[in-house]
Amino acid sequence: MMRSIQRTFPLFVTALLLAVAIVQLTIGYGEVRQASRSVTDTRLRFVDSVLVDLFQSGQQRGRVTALAKDSDVVAFLRSGGQRGREQALAALRRITLDTASNARLELRDFSGRLLLSTGRFAFGDSVLVSPGTDSARFGPLQRRDTVLFFGVAAATIGTERSGSGERSGGIVQQVARLQLNERTRRFLTGLSGGDMAFLFGNAAGDPWTDFASIVSAPPANVRNSPRPTRYERGEAQRAIAMAVPGTPWMVATEVPTRLIVAPAQAYLLTMAPFAALIVIIGTLAAWWGSRRLTAPLVGVTQAAEAIATGDLTQRVPVGRDDELGKLARSFNTMAEQVSRSHHHLEAQVAQRTKALEGTNAELESFSYSVSHDLRAPLRAIHGFARILLEDHHAQLDPEAQRLLGVIDQNTRRMGQLIDDLLAFSRLGRTDLATGPVDMKELTQLVADEVQRTEAGRNGSLEIRIDPLPAARGDRGLLRQVMSNLLLNAAKFTRDRPSAKIEVGSQADGGQTVYYVKDNGAGFDARYADKLFGVFQRLHSTEQFDGTGVGLAIVKRIVQRHGGRVWAEGAVNQGATFYFTLPGEER
Amino acid sequence: MQPKGVEILLVEDNANDAELTLRALKQRNLANQVFLCHDGAEAMEFFADGASPVPKVVLLDLKLPKVDGLEVLRRLKNDNRTKTIPIVVLTSSREEPDIERAYALGANSYIVKPVDFDAFARAVSDVGLYWLLLNHPPQ
Repeated sequence: MMRSIQRTFPLFVTALLLAVAIVQLTIGYGEVRQASRSVTDTRLRFVDSVLVDLFQSGQQRGRVTALAKDSDVVAFLRSGGQRGREQALAALRRITLDTASNARLELRDFSGRLLLSTGRFAFGDSVLVSPGTDSARFGPLQRRDTVLFFGVAAATIGTERSGSGERSGGIVQQVARLQLNERTRRFLTGLSGGDMAFLFGNAAGDPWTDFASIVSAPPANVRNSPRPTRYERGEAQRAIAMAVPGTPWMVATEVPTRLIVAPAQAYLLTMAPFAALIVIIGTLAAWWGSRRLTAPLVGVTQAAEAIATGDLTQRVPVGRDDELGKLARSFNTMAEQVSRSHHHLEAQVAQRTKALEGTNAELESFSYSVSHDLRAPLRAIHGFARILLEDHHAQLDPEAQRLLGVIDQNTRRMGQLIDDLLAFSRLGRTDLATGPVDMKELTQLVADEVQRTEAGRNGSLEIRIDPLPAARGDRGLLRQVMSNLLLNAAKFTRDRPSAKIEVGSQADGGQTVYYVKDNGAGFDARYADKLFGVFQRLHSTEQFDGTGVGLAIVKRIVQRHGGRVWAEGAVNQGATFYFTLPGEER
Repeated sequence: MQPKGVEILLVEDNANDAELTLRALKQRNLANQVFLCHDGAEAMEFFADGASPVPKVVLLDLKLPKVDGLEVLRRLKNDNRTKTIPIVVLTSSREEPDIERAYALGANSYIVKPVDFDAFARAVSDVGLYWLLLNHPPQ
């Protein structure tokens, strides 16, 4: 397909705009996502740290620590649970009035035996955490079936060792159950604005909870990383986990990455139609612009093509004042000049043709005169010389008879010369009747003819004809070429006891080279260029007869067919005559 | 004065050619009833009055003074009285246009006079023999 600016330019502009739009959208998307992530990370950190503060639970620790210092409790525990039971229970109740199912206060001795307890919650029948001595210590989150709980324990202060090495005093432990329900979860999520989820669990691993149910712990890389990290929980999440100081716990805050990229996607959805619109408008503008730009060029091109096919009257409308208008004006000027010089040329050709026709007519009448007027006196000379010889034979001495013989011979020769010359001059004037010519068949015909003519010769004559490709030309004239060349070859091999003539061909580009090769007298290669001249002879008439027109005729016929002739040879080593002809088109 | 029985009308302006032609005919004993015209006008006069005897053949040269051979040929072939007379063009010209025009005008034969006298004599006597002895004209 032809390359066209009208098509290429809008395509180029469209491609450019598309590229710009895609790059712009890609960069914008990346930046929005980056900003969104950075905002999210800040929020994650902030919210998580708030939650961490919430879980430090100073009050709970304080209560348990205070209980461990209570004198009634200490007295009860020192007595090994033997004395002051009522006072201790009152102390416990003072601190934990509620006996709800979620918490239970225990007093145990150092071996872990339960001495006293309040509250109905009854999991963890042991010391859940090694008790703190200065203040209460939090134990790790523990799980039993669907219940999560942990212990807060403190040892009584002022513990004294007895003589037997046994400690007096004991442990105050609170066992707390974590309230898991959907309300809590939703409440916490609501605090964060609704898009974040909170997880709570042990820094060391399971169990964890989202405050509604028990979940598996976030992977170690999340728990160990100080920065928000990506992980999979149902879907891709971005999460940060922070340890709750003073406890073995951790609080994690996470947000689905889907929500982080949402602004970027919204950006894409908003911007893409704008980008598409810009591309479409740009394309239309480029298409319109290129049409506007190339339309005058198309006009000029069409006019130029019309002129190229011969319609010299074509002009381009000049409707603009810019470069294109200038081009149209220049084109019209050029077309005008071409038209003018064309007419001039045509007139000249007509004039020359007329002159040529005149010359040709003159030449024709000249040939006619030569044909008619030169032959008549010659015939008279020959005729009357013969009459002298025939009718007055008796009165003539032998020398007179010989001289009349010379006249006879020369007038015959002169007649032959005139005939050949006329034949040669006719060649230039007759039209070619061109058609396909079977060269092999034609050569065979000529060869048979030559064999008949040469029947009386002394030696043998062999004419070998290779397969020859067909040619395109005037059959009659090509026959004359072949005839002249074969007769020539036959003539110059006449003194050979076994003469050989070979006709063959070879391909040479689009043309075929035909050749006629003989083993005859040959010629001096220095005079090869004279072979094809009219009346040029390289041998004396005594040696070989002929007028010296045959090869000139060959040359003229081949040239009129658009071919070339040349010859190779050496004295006494035979000669090869070559000629080329255009091949037969298929 | 015109001889009674003209068998061959020879139209030839060249005296030498005429003599050679007559000699060739004579050698075959065909020259007794030959009438010679030296140009085209004379030939036309020969046929002008209806009284002239009708020759068995006209030997016509093309290049003639006054009225040229092709014109003579055209007139004879266009005349009802003479169009059946065989006309043999006997000329030096070997030019194609002449040959074509002569046949187009109705020439019965076209002979190129050879330079070689022997060939010439043979051609002339053959023509004479053919048209006088072998050919049967309409009665």
